[in-house]
Amino acid sequence: MSNEPADMDLTGDRGSQTVREGIYHLVFFICAAVSVLTTIGIVLSLAGPAFGLFGGSGFFQDVSLSEFLLSTDFSPAIKPTVFGVLPLVFGTLLITVGAAAVALPFGLLTAIYLSEYASSRRRAVLKPLLEVLAGVPTVVYGYFALVYVTPILDAVPGIELGTFNALSASLVMGIMIIPMVSSISEDSMSAVPDSLRNASYGLGSTKFDVSTGVVVPSAASGIASSFILAISRAVGETMIVVVAAGQTARFPGSATELLNSFFQSTQTMTSAIVQLGLSDLAGGTTAYRALFAIGLVLFVMTLVLNLVSDVLVRRYQEDYE
Amino acid sequence: MSQNENTTTTTDEGGTDPQTDDEKLISTDVTTGEESARAAATSRTMVEARGVDVYYGDLQALDDVSLEIPEGKVTAMIGPSGCGKSTFLRCINRMNDLVDSARVEGDLLLKGKNVYDDDVDPVALRRQVGMVFQEPNPFPKSIYDNVAYGRRIQGLEGDMDEEVEKALRRAALWDEVNDQLDKSGLDLSGGQQQRLCIARAIAVDPEVILMDEPASALDPIATSKIEDLIEELAEDYTVVIVTHNMQQAARISDQTAVFLTGGELVEFDDTQKIFENPEHDRVEDYITGKFG
Amino acid sequence: MATETGTTTEGAAFGKISRLRGIVFEYLTLAASVFGIASLGVLLGYVFWDAFGLQAADPLWYAAFAVTLVLPLTGFALYGRRNALAGEVALELFSTVMAGVLGGFALVVVLEVIAGSDVWSAYFATVAGPLAGLFVYGRRNEANWVGLAGLGALVVGPVVGTVALDPLTRVGELLGGPGIYFLSLVLPAAAIARYVVGDVLEFGSGDYAALATVVVALVGVPVADQFAAVTRPIWLMFHVALVVPFGIVAAKNLADRDRWIGFAGPLILAGGVALLVTLPEVFGIAGPEPWFDWQYVTANPSRFADQAGLYPAIIGSIFMIVLVALLTLMLGVGAALYLEEYAPSSGPLGAVTRFIRINISNLAGVPSVVYGLLGLAVFANTLRLGFGTVITAAFTLSLLILPIVIISAREAIQSVPDSLRDASYGMGATRWQTVRNVIMPRAIPGILTGTILALGRAIGETAPLIMIGVATTKFSPPGGLFGKMTAMPMQIYTWAGFPSQEFQHGVVAAGVVTLLVVLLTMNSIAILMRNKFEQSDI
Repeated sequence: MSNEPADMDLTGDRGSQTVREGIYHLVFFICAAVSVLTTIGIVLSLAGPAFGLFGGSGFFQDVSLSEFLLSTDFSPAIKPTVFGVLPLVFGTLLITVGAAAVALPFGLLTAIYLSEYASSRRRAVLKPLLEVLAGVPTVVYGYFALVYVTPILDAVPGIELGTFNALSASLVMGIMIIPMVSSISEDSMSAVPDSLRNASYGLGSTKFDVSTGVVVPSAASGIASSFILAISRAVGETMIVVVAAGQTARFPGSATELLNSFFQSTQTMTSAIVQLGLSDLAGGTTAYRALFAIGLVLFVMTLVLNLVSDVLVRRYQEDYE
Repeated sequence: MSQNENTTTTTDEGGTDPQTDDEKLISTDVTTGEESARAAATSRTMVEARGVDVYYGDLQALDDVSLEIPEGKVTAMIGPSGCGKSTFLRCINRMNDLVDSARVEGDLLLKGKNVYDDDVDPVALRRQVGMVFQEPNPFPKSIYDNVAYGRRIQGLEGDMDEEVEKALRRAALWDEVNDQLDKSGLDLSGGQQQRLCIARAIAVDPEVILMDEPASALDPIATSKIEDLIEELAEDYTVVIVTHNMQQAARISDQTAVFLTGGELVEFDDTQKIFENPEHDRVEDYITGKFG
Repeated sequence: MATETGTTTEGAAFGKISRLRGIVFEYLTLAASVFGIASLGVLLGYVFWDAFGLQAADPLWYAAFAVTLVLPLTGFALYGRRNALAGEVALELFSTVMAGVLGGFALVVVLEVIAGSDVWSAYFATVAGPLAGLFVYGRRNEANWVGLAGLGALVVGPVVGTVALDPLTRVGELLGGPGIYFLSLVLPAAAIARYVVGDVLEFGSGDYAALATVVVALVGVPVADQFAAVTRPIWLMFHVALVVPFGIVAAKNLADRDRWIGFAGPLILAGGVALLVTLPEVFGIAGPEPWFDWQYVTANPSRFADQAGLYPAIIGSIFMIVLVALLTLMLGVGAALYLEEYAPSSGPLGAVTRFIRINISNLAGVPSVVYGLLGLAVFANTLRLGFGTVITAAFTLSLLILPIVIISAREAIQSVPDSLRDASYGMGATRWQTVRNVIMPRAIPGILTGTILALGRAIGETAPLIMIGVATTKFSPPGGLFGKMTAMPMQIYTWAGFPSQEFQHGVVAAGVVTLLVVLLTMNSIAILMRNKFEQSDI
């Protein structure tokens, strides 16, 4: 047992080197902390004016919660002003349903093609092209909907469209979010192990059986996650609606009105925020605070959707990885 | 100091009182006591482990390992895969600190200084204990910059050109690369890359060189060059080598430690004794290929 | 399950299974895959038709278009399918030119239009110069204080520059604009050219490259003087951003005979455009009447469609995006390094790390208009950085794309093999030494690719800009960080609300094309870098 004193220094240059490393560590930590500060900033800047957290009157002191949640009227400019969020939520749902009606089936079929049928060469061409769909600025999509899509749809017999309408805005939005659905769905389908496919082929299944009967059900949680993420994106999408869907807050009183609202101008939460923002940004008015109250509802809705989507994604990753 | 390196803690359990240590050594069924005393008579102990346990999360990778590695010798660690021999190697220079879930208990002494003491900086420790890895991993830099890397980051004085040449000569690579020092280290063959990594490690003149299966990714000719090199290195350095290749251990090492499943050190002795007349039947079974 | 509606015939060995349903389904999925792309293609077709006023063109012009451009380029594209090298070289050359033009514009906008040579000289002396000097010193010598000193220069430099702006600008004025740019742009460019040619690409003498950079810059001055629009500073900036990089890329490709064929692509394009411009004029064929032309990108907005231009919006967008790029690169790389290299993943602090990670991925899903509300409440109203100012917009959009930048930077850092980390730590390197010497050099191309793609998102964002009070129309470019600005998508949004056909089908379409050209350029640079990066990885 030799216990001679160490003739080397293992303690290092504790002074300057530790300080240096500590500074780098701190600087990088601060960079990472910016993202947390951003979240806190978002929550405070939305909740502050909504509830009057930082002095002054809050939105919910000016307007009762019941009016905000239950009134079917949204008219912030004309007196007497009414701030009911329901018409805006309806408009958001309307646009989202329209967009989902395009994006979900097309996105899912695209994912099946890319994952099960496409040769690697075709996949290499199609995937970047699909990414382009999500890369075009939304204001450009809005312009497409307003200037090109609406006249084309209007020319179809039996469809009477206003200059601003929910239909073309939601169709174009649907095209934009196809890649959201297809990329995550495809990831989850590719994660389905080949052993499952082979088991089914071994039983004499055709490729169609395998794709629809084995791969899609096995990837269900990933596909559901992609759907929810796409819906979240549609809920939060702003410029397409602002440019092409108009600014008339509606709440349908009957089934016919509900159906008709696709062909008319509508207002979503996001476009209401923009409308209020264009009129008043200096603060101090109820309309300004309404901006943040609506923003808060929008933020909570998208956050919940994103969290659900996250949980589902994690489930498929746990299943196969 | 980073957070990571702080999270690995050393417990003082049984480490402060030398007597309990001795008892522990005797109480284990490892036959190190008497044999390593013989080794210590001929040379000083470089690395000494006393009751080292390592856990990855809940999984125990090393179970109460105690041994003494003599200075200036080649010590081999053999055993089936997953037996903890690489884990032990990585304890010596605290590379396990980089694995968040790893926890080391017991004492590990380098020249009598516990490397898991609070005042030991793992960075400073690694400057004394060089390491060569399983896969050759030269940096995507020139051959010269690869060898110079350690001296640069450690801020060592001296003529860099001279030191680089010395290290490359020592690693038996100089004659092959002296006219292409600007070439990328990745352009060399596998065996040359591994010798470059050895040159990189000895350029900073460490006390100990750890080698984690340094020849397992190489062809037989490259392997034999590395083996020759290891034997030469033992003249100046203490070499600890992990290998899954028993013949290799028999060829190049002076001492051999046999780890068997569960992270247990079963036998540690002169290499000749291990391969000709092992104390334990399990070791004999392993050496003769009946198991593992 | 196993069999479909197929009928099994007696006697056949295994029977037959109907494949009809499967085939129909396969084509259905294929059609769905193409649907979105085709729709976008049609819409883009409309926009280009409008923006270039193609309805005014004579049928003969279309014939000329087909013969001079479409056919030769199609031919080259088909050839490029067989000879991948030709396509690669052509893309390399083309992207270099586009990136050079964009970079040149960015330099002109930031240095000449907004800052001015005297202000630039002050900040070059206090920030850019010291940083560059430290970087070079750090490359050559392993000095642990270099990174810290750089950090210090980054923080202290702007303060010193601002405090001492007055005396420093006077010194700058003594040198004059061209002199300042020669010292601060051309000489560093020569040094970079020397390094790139001599050490990185290793195809020629670095000294010649440096010499050529300086000589061409000087020789170009009298040539530039012949053109009123090209002032000496503008020439020097485009020399640095466009001529030098193109020269290096061209020389590199010329050095290898196999790559010569790639030059055909850009030559065909340039020759075709030249022919297309001159031929119809010579023969008196009516060409298109484009809205998207030089006048459009250099004029101010106007009530009259034929006089309207996008100039202030282009300048605003470029200035803003340069700031966003600087901010997000620093913050994004820092955060990614923390999460990948520094943060503990277990223990009590591991929970913090996990929280930050989840937080970042959720921030990526927050609607952009909400970021606008954040910018409005925090930057515009609380910190009083002003409504619609460049700095408010840059901060807001930086926070918007930061999650995307962090996520892509993390992926790039993860792709650095652990064996290199082991090698570095095994040598006794500290964390920072490992990051600086081993991780960053490998991760930078991937980080830049992700950042450029994220910047593409930022340049097209509109809703947050509306929320922070960015002007819908402005008749002059922003004067500085605290100047009011407008941006390309804002101007497009404004014009899209004009009812007149000339605006809806002309001016806006041209704006859309401008925005898309900028985006396309940024994305092709990013894709090219990604390809290069993946190749070098193998």
